[in-house]
Parts: sequence; structure tokens; C-alpha cells
Amino acid sequence: MSRGVRIVATALAVLGTACTPPSPPPAVTEREEIPVVLLNVPADPTISFSLQFAVGSQNDPPGKEGLAYLTGDMLADAATEARSLDEILAALYPLAADYDIRVDLERSTLTGRVHRDNLDAYLELFTDAFLKPAFDEDDFERIRSDAINAIENTLRYSSDEELGKAGLHEAVFRGTRYAHLSWGTVAGLRSITLDDVRTFYRQHYTRANALLGVGGGFDQALVDRLAAAVKQLPAGARAAPPSIEPQPIDGRSVVLIDKPNADASISFGFPLDVRRGERDFYALWIANSWLGEHRNQSSHLFNVIRELRGLNYGDYSYIEEFPEGGERNMPPVNVPRRIQLFEVWIRTLPNEQAPFALRAALRELQLLVDEGMTAEEFELTRTFLKKYMLHFAETTDARLGYAIDDRFYGLDDEGHLARFRRMMDELTLEDVNAAMKRHWHYDNLKIAIVTGEAAQMRALLARGEPTPITYPTPKPAAILEEDRIIEAWPLNLAEERMTTVPVAETFEH
Amino acid sequence: MTPIIPYYTETRTLPNGLTVIVVQMPSDGLAAYWTIVRTGSRDEYEPDRTGFAHFFEHMMFRGTERFPSDVYNRVITTIGADANAYTTDDHTAYHLAMAAEDLEKVMELESDRFQNLSYAESAFQTEAGAVYGEYRKSRTEPEFALYEELVGTAFERHPYGHTTLGYERDIAIMPTLYEYSREFWRRYYRPENTVLFIAGDVTPPAVFALVDKYYGGWQRGYVAPQIPVEPEQTAERRVDVSYDGQTLPIVMIAYKLPVYDAADRTRVAADLFADLAFGETSEAYRRLVLDEQVVEDIDAGAAYNRDPGLLEIYARVKDPAKVDYVLGVIDETIATFRSAPPDAARLADLQRRLRYGFLMGLQTPDDVASRAAQFVALSGDLTGLDRLHATYAAVTPADVRTAAERYLVDERRTVGVLRSRQ
Repeated sequence: MSRGVRIVATALAVLGTACTPPSPPPAVTEREEIPVVLLNVPADPTISFSLQFAVGSQNDPPGKEGLAYLTGDMLADAATEARSLDEILAALYPLAADYDIRVDLERSTLTGRVHRDNLDAYLELFTDAFLKPAFDEDDFERIRSDAINAIENTLRYSSDEELGKAGLHEAVFRGTRYAHLSWGTVAGLRSITLDDVRTFYRQHYTRANALLGVGGGFDQALVDRLAAAVKQLPAGARAAPPSIEPQPIDGRSVVLIDKPNADASISFGFPLDVRRGERDFYALWIANSWLGEHRNQSSHLFNVIRELRGLNYGDYSYIEEFPEGGERNMPPVNVPRRIQLFEVWIRTLPNEQAPFALRAALRELQLLVDEGMTAEEFELTRTFLKKYMLHFAETTDARLGYAIDDRFYGLDDEGHLARFRRMMDELTLEDVNAAMKRHWHYDNLKIAIVTGEAAQMRALLARGEPTPITYPTPKPAAILEEDRIIEAWPLNLAEERMTTVPVAETFEH
Repeated sequence: MTPIIPYYTETRTLPNGLTVIVVQMPSDGLAAYWTIVRTGSRDEYEPDRTGFAHFFEHMMFRGTERFPSDVYNRVITTIGADANAYTTDDHTAYHLAMAAEDLEKVMELESDRFQNLSYAESAFQTEAGAVYGEYRKSRTEPEFALYEELVGTAFERHPYGHTTLGYERDIAIMPTLYEYSREFWRRYYRPENTVLFIAGDVTPPAVFALVDKYYGGWQRGYVAPQIPVEPEQTAERRVDVSYDGQTLPIVMIAYKLPVYDAADRTRVAADLFADLAFGETSEAYRRLVLDEQVVEDIDAGAAYNRDPGLLEIYARVKDPAKVDYVLGVIDETIATFRSAPPDAARLADLQRRLRYGFLMGLQTPDDVASRAAQFVALSGDLTGLDRLHATYAAVTPADVRTAAERYLVDERRTVGVLRSRQ
């Protein structure tokens, strides 16, 4: 191999299919200096790039929340030493290519994709982005202003559902470096200087933190060129990530985000210390899929709240980070976490129906944990997942993203998707029900509610009185009978465990 | 004409009028199954029926006598398909990403619901609540609030004057329209108004044999909607919207276009104009977004509709005091394109971008189907898509200037501005 780089031929097991197993493309890792994940798909006329750095918003210095985000964007959406941003955009334009960065809590991942016809024109642009950022003052002001607007205007006022989810995340991880948005806080963003960005870049965008990935129809010469580029980064040293220990949750507590004229959007959950690779993780995946498969009619919560009662547009649950849930159908890549969040998402509904919907979801969680899945539900769900997972990574760039994430979770040998598939065959109903009892609970959790009626909602929830709903049209007797149970389901919410936050103050600090 | 989709494709039309397009592409055992009904919010021409095509899309998941919704959902769950649907101005698409080996099972289910849909009035009423919920989640977006007003001002008679979600007052009465929903289905959900698009690890002969078996008995009966003709706009219109929440001011300008024709170089050039004038590499973008930083984002695009649609320009303005300034720069930009053809090299770059962008977007069977669906809905087959890409390549700088001269005139436009109420 060129430059004496030792190739360790560790074939990443790639998911097979129930129908036509694809020939697993060889993916290999280089273990000298620059770790590289290769996913060669010769038939793919495009090439996918991924350069991940072990730095994220958890590394934002206190008071400078948003520094990792701004630094990332100064690489992906700003000038380089060789070209101004408008020159970069003009050069990328005929290629129909671009590059982008996702700055998450633990990792920042620069990705791009180009047709192989356009590779040469693209490669220099991509490598300049991480090697030669210009740190232009005008770019910095634009990017920072956009980030502040994204919080002050878009998150606070444009999407109550995203606001509720962000509110829950902040409440669960408060006191840790996971708590703030990956974009940062308004005050943090305002305090950051361009010098802060330069320093952060020098400190974290290093060889020690880098993981390179290439997928598609590439050849070894391209890998060599990319690896050589990455080797131009300073050596650096990988620092231990900050400790993330969410405060234990004792009982149920509520954050009401008071937003005038808003309908109700609810999220609730708790930290989940189970990760990809662990047997219990896959057991929980089965349980979670049955309870609340994302944007799928197989979701039980969807069935109870939307399908039978028509209260809202959808109701789902998660055991892994799932950003942009309103836009995407399949799980994302490059958002790995050491600690996950178990989360139930109840989509927007009228304020007067919100306590009922919350009770319905809490009840379904409790019934599932206490009584477990039935054998029939278990079989149906794992049968579903065995094929549904084929859609998780249909494209080369998605598969490359999974392979990159496998490094984070220490799944270099088997890979998450291959293990997922194996676990669907190995796990038993008893495994799933036991895993829920070990890791899920319904008495100790946090609830975030965006609402235009915060004071009334708070008083109502605290009183704990039944919250019946009425329907505009007749309902079957069985539904109405179950409603009597749901409307009085214990909320166990004490007034002193509720806080109300005006929307204008959210994510400020 | 060279096909733009680089895979083997066959199209057949059944005696009952159902068009079937099969794209054979290597895809690791996966397939996409799309049923494209050429009915959308355009067809909501009757009073108080806005949003009905979208509502009806929801009802298509409420089952048949043979496969009630719980049975349908169970089968879809068992085969691990990713099933969903959406509604646009001109079409409604029902799509599944699935394993190719499940093709016959899926066709059995899908052909049944399109021919034998049956739901109780109670299920119909319950689903109306879910549609209301979808409206609730959308109305918090300022762009939605402005767009609803903009199209309502731009169109006086044509149903393009309302969004696919419909007006809230019409959503509120949906539970009372059970009988109308049956009529809607009888009128529009017919084979001659539908295209079946199947892509992936499938072979056309095998697909056609199954289609004959499962769709051969579907009866014709399409009743064309009585869509009113929009009168010619003769003067600029303006709408100002106050938004309850906090937002940057948003500007949307909509210019009336003539009816879309993939072979009409001037009409196709309107979309290329939009990108050249306001896209990421435009002078307006450089000035407003990068240099002066007075807008957060600016973009534009021309619609590909069955009836005359809009060319829309969008900008989020950072400083409320700069709204008129931004409108002025947009006007200056348009004037520049009206006075001289664009640089030929920039146009060539855009033409190259359109071709590579399309090809790079065809990664999965579902990608192919989703990229083709809009154009299949317009022309009823794939020829329109091929024609469009041939026309893209043929557009000259003079065509772009002609488009700007003809269409980008004040009397064809509606200017919308949204600001925070406080």
C-alpha cells in the first residue's frame, strides 16, 4: 500500500437482505495515523466523503455555547484561503455538489458527495475546507447572526414541536455539557469572537481527532490523496470527553414553555444509558418500535392517540437521537451519543386535549413496561424490523455514515446494522420485556409542554383531576370506556415540580 | 430523445387507461411502488372544499372490506415496508419503499384499496381530527402563514389560490362531508387518472403480468373537474401579513406564468432565470446574503403545474427596516435580466448542474420514483421528463432574457410581506 500505510482488512459486515443479499462491499480500516473507513461500491458513479472530528458542542467552553457549531460552519459555509465563499459556490455549482457539516454533541462531521466525472474539480474544494479555512470576519458575522436567528426566531416561534423536544432535552441534561443546543445559546453565541473560533479549530481539528471515510466508486489513489491531506492537520492529542452524568430523576416534573396563542406540543422522557452494540439496546429497539415507530402506522401510540381518537397528526417514541423528526423518515447518521434520551413525542394538539393525550401516552408506557409485549406483538415487530431496517441505509453515503458511527460505538468488527439484524433473530420476548424493566420507567421522567395556556395547564395538571375530552362525532363504546380510564390516569405532578418558562427566555443562557 | 433516467424503462397502458411505468434498476433487492393519482388541490373547485384532496389521501389508509385498515397495516408491517403518501397542487402520491420480493403482496393490497375503498363514517370523522392536527403543526410556520395569503391574493378564481392543506374553516367542516368523500373517490380515483410507477429489482414482463391480474378489472369512470380559468392579471397586487410570533420579515413575490410546456424554451427558461437571478451563485445572493448581509436567505423557482402557475421569489430579511430596500434590489435584478441576456458561461454551468444534480439524485428506486412523480403527474408518462431535460439543455441566454421580459413584469405579480405583529 502506498506510503506504507498498513491496511487491516477488516471487512465491515454490511446488512444483508431477506430477499437478495447484496454482496458486502469490502470496507477496510487503516490503523496508522489516520483511521480510514472505506466502503467501495464500484457500480456507484458517485463518491461520498466523510471527515469526522471528535469534537462537538459538549466541548463548548462554558459561556461560549455555540463555539463548536460556529467553528464547523466556518469550515463548511465560509471562505478558504484560496477562495471567497462566492467563488467556492460558483466552483461547486456546475458540479451539482457541495459539502456540509453536522456539528452534534460528540462529533462534527464534514460530508460531501460528487459524481466521479467531477472528482478532480471537487477534491481541492473539499480539502481546502478543512485545511485552509480563511476565518473571514464577514463570514463569521453572517454565520453567527444566522445561528442567533435560528434560536430567537425559528426555534422559539416557528415550530412548537421542535421547541418542545429541545425543551425536554435541555431539562433532562441540565447541568451537563449535553444540555445546550448544538447551535449554542443566544448569550453564548453573542460572546464568541473570531479568535475563539481560530483557537477552537487549532485545538480540535487535529489528526488525533480525525476519522476519514470514503464511499462509492473510488480508487486507492483518491484515498491516498485524501489521507495525505488529512495528514497536513496538526497532530494534536485527543482529550477525554467531558463527563456526562444527568441528575437522577426522582418523580415527574414539568417544564411549561409559555408561548402566547400556541396549541400544545408535548415531549417527555428520561436519560437512557444503553447504546448501540449492547444486547439490551436491540431489545429496547423492538419494544420502542412497537410503542412508537417513527412516522409509521405500526406505532401503538399513533394508533391510540391519532388513529382511534383523531387527536393529532402523530405520536412516536425514540431510544436514540432523531433530529429533524418532522422531515426525515429514517434514522440519521453522525449523531452518536454516550448517553441517549428515551423520548415520547406527542405532536401538536388543542390545549384542552393535551392533558388527556399526555395521560394516554403515560398509560401506554406504563402498561408496556409492567405487562411487557405479548408474544404476537414481539413476533410481528421483529419481523417488521428485519425488513424495515433495509431502508435505514439504502445509499452509499448512508452506509458510510453508519460505518463511521460504528467507530464511535466500538463496533468496528460487526457493525451496528449487521448486529441489529442478528439480534432480531437471537432476542427473545423475555429479553425484550426484561430490558424494558431494567432501563425504562414511568414514574421518574421529565415532561416539556409548549402551550399558549401555561397557567391554566399548570393548575390543571397539578390538581390531577380527570381531564375528559369530547369528540365532535360519535365514538364506539369501547373507545369511550377506555377514555374513562385514560382521563383519570394518575399524573402525579406536584405544583412545586413544575416550572414555567416564557418562550422568549428559552435557550438564552 | 435520450431518456434522462439511465435505466431500462418500459411503459404500458392497460385497456382501462391505467398507465404503468416500470424502471428496472439494480437495487439490492429493493423496490419502490408508487401510485400517482393525477388529482390534487387543483381539483378542489367547489365551494368550501379546500383541502379535500389531502384529506382524502388520509382516507385511503382506512381500508377495504377485504383488507380493513388494521389488516392492511398489519400486512405492511409484516413486510417491513416504508409506506406513506403526500398531496400536491396537481397530484396525490401513495408510495411504498419495500423488498422487491413482496411485489405481488403489495400489488394485491394497493390494487384493492384503489378499487374497493370502504370506510365507516366514524373512521372518516376521526381522520378529520388528524388532518386538523396537521394544519395545527403547520400554521406555526411564518412561511406557511404568508404563503397562504400570497396564493390567495394571486389567484382570484383558480384553486391554486389555496394551499393543499386548505382553509381552516373548510377543515373544520370536513367531518360532515362523508357522502362527498365517496363522490370524490368515484370521480377521481379511476385508472385513466392514475399512473403506477414501479422501480427497482423488478422485470417489466413480470410486473405487467401482475398488473393485468390485479388492475385489469378496475373500471373507467373519471369525471374531469370543472376548474375555473383564472382571469388575466392586469395590475400588481400586494398583501401584508401580521404574524403573531416573532420572526424575521419574509418577502415573497409571485409572478404569474403561462401554462407549463416542457417543449417551450421560454417557459422552461423561466425556471433557469430564477436560479441565475436569485440562486446561490447569483449577483443578488452575493450582494444581499454575503456582502451586505441584509437577508438571511434568498431563493426563487418556477412551478411545474398543469395549469398556469407561479414563479416565486423568497427572502428572509434580517432588518425590518430593510424590507423595501430588498424589494428594490429584487426589482433591479429583474431589470438587469430584462435588459440583457445572462452570461453564457453561467447558463452552461447551470445546465450542467441540472443534469448532474438529477443523475446524482437517483440513488434508490424511491429516489427515481419521487423525482419522476411530479412530471409523470403532469404528462401522464415519462416523455415530459425527458423533454424537459432536453429543453433545459437547449435554452439559450436569449431565451432567459425573453422569459424575464415576458413574465417578470409588475402587472403579473403579487408582492407579499410578513412581519411580526409587535
